[in-house]
Amino acid sequence: MPELDADAGRLTFKLVYYGPAQSGKTTNLMRLHDLLAPELKGEMMTLETQGDRTLFFDLLPLGFRSPSGLLVKLRLFTVPGQVAHDGTRKAVLSRSDGVVFVADSQRTEETNNAESFRNLAENSGRVGIDFERLPLVVQFNKRDLPAVVGEDEVRDRWAGASWPLTFTAALTGEGVRETFALLLVAVYRRYGAELELESRHGLGEAAFVAGIMGP
Amino acid sequence: MSEAFDRDYTLAELLPERVLESVGPALARLLDADLAVLDAAGNALWGRAPETAARAPLALELEPIGWLAAAVPAESLRAAAALLRQLFLARVRYLMAGSLHKESVAADYAALLEKHAALEASEARYKLLAEELEQRVAAQVELLDTRARQLYQAEKLASVGQLAAGVAHEINNPIGFVRSNISALGRYFDKWRGLKERIGAAAWTELDMDFVLDDCADIVKESLAGIDRVARIVADLKGFSNVDRPDEEFVDLNVNLEEVSGVVRSQLPAGIELKLDLHELPRILCLPGHLNQVLFNVMRNAVQAVQDAGRGGTVTVSSRGDGAGIAIAVADNGVGMAAEQAARVFEPFYTTRIVGQGTGLGMTVAKDIVQAHDGRITISSVPGAGTTVTIFLPT
Repeated sequence: MPELDADAGRLTFKLVYYGPAQSGKTTNLMRLHDLLAPELKGEMMTLETQGDRTLFFDLLPLGFRSPSGLLVKLRLFTVPGQVAHDGTRKAVLSRSDGVVFVADSQRTEETNNAESFRNLAENSGRVGIDFERLPLVVQFNKRDLPAVVGEDEVRDRWAGASWPLTFTAALTGEGVRETFALLLVAVYRRYGAELELESRHGLGEAAFVAGIMGP
Repeated sequence: MSEAFDRDYTLAELLPERVLESVGPALARLLDADLAVLDAAGNALWGRAPETAARAPLALELEPIGWLAAAVPAESLRAAAALLRQLFLARVRYLMAGSLHKESVAADYAALLEKHAALEASEARYKLLAEELEQRVAAQVELLDTRARQLYQAEKLASVGQLAAGVAHEINNPIGFVRSNISALGRYFDKWRGLKERIGAAAWTELDMDFVLDDCADIVKESLAGIDRVARIVADLKGFSNVDRPDEEFVDLNVNLEEVSGVVRSQLPAGIELKLDLHELPRILCLPGHLNQVLFNVMRNAVQAVQDAGRGGTVTVSSRGDGAGIAIAVADNGVGMAAEQAARVFEPFYTTRIVGQGTGLGMTVAKDIVQAHDGRITISSVPGAGTTVTIFLPT
């Protein structure tokens, strides 16, 4: 549940980029930092890394003010993808309000994707997130590489699932904004009414998305 | 959640007093002015600034978590604020990493505990399985024992039956002609009385023929009684051993009781009486040969118990039937048994007799057979006063 601090006039959403190791979670955040132009955009905070592997998390804060003056703040996190860091992954995932699952499109990574997705579902349960209702977008990244699973095949395989699918190349930034926009829509639809965003703060779905994406 | 790694950090937390005490004067020297570090609400955490001082925001992510105030040009103030920010950014990284590490260790530990609990549960399951297997093996062994005894018993009954059939066949024929010959001999002896007038009274008296012929009549009578007894024993033996009968049949157990008691009575030592107290019984489907063995074993034990007492006594066999089934009681007033002895009566190879006199299987076999008929066999005994064995067979 998003954190509403009435005294400070601030509403904070926690969004998490989840997925197998080296699928491009940090790259997604770096591109978003470059591509988005909200009213408020913080620096991207990267904690310790080992080579180019995330050890703890990356954090990108974004924000804008609603017509009512409410500061809508989004904190985008990445998790460490390596299997060994499950405790850290679980801690970062806890209290999150939406997830982008970043899968590696390469055919050789199919097993890792499946395992990581199962891990997401399991960890959601462990940290008290209702996985069935969690706003979630599934992103198939690295479409710029040659040996990737075909789009039709991926769509076929995920036909039974209700989550939106996107196909991206985070390295070039292709589809990164679109993925994020889909997550924002899902987040708004999940919590908007409960938080009275429209009725109380004059913030409709389109304005919510536009506020974060920027012009 | 105040310990969560992604909580809101305050400036006071990120720039504790001891840090400010060393950083503050250094900054003041660089700016060459008094300065103050204020928290988000504008309260001074360290230092003093004049009323006219300008304020530069100290932002952590998006919004200021405090202010730097000093009466210096805006550019200098912003530069000082940027310097201070780098300090608390380093600090916030450290705090976040530390908290996250704590959370992840706790999560890993919880996962470990979960795994441990699962392992313990599986260990318990294996233990249970091992115990269950042990019980099953014990049950199988017992079953095998029972089957072996039943087989032994069946073999024994079969050989007894064959023996009885052979004996009955071999004895019945000679006993038949011996009986008819002796009957004829009796009639011939009567004819000899006519000789008295032919050979004269003197010779008759000299030969003491009156006595001889009287005695002959007695001898014939006793011989016939003996032959009849042999014939009856043969008949009882035949009945007892179930020769010429199908395996399972509807019988009146009173008939069996009479047959068996006939066999027992034929070997009854002096001074011991065998009494029957039989009441009308419903007919039941059973293996009569096997039940005969049970009745024989129990009655023989009763007779031996009386014999062991070294005095005269009585074995009373009674039968009663009702809607539920048939109860047969064999009561003796022999030596009786102590409780611990009575408790072991049905154990295989348990015997108080010397080697060669008892196998210790009689009562075990009796119990097996009764249980095979869905019945019960119980024993009650008072040392010195006697024992009663009760057999119940459901109809």
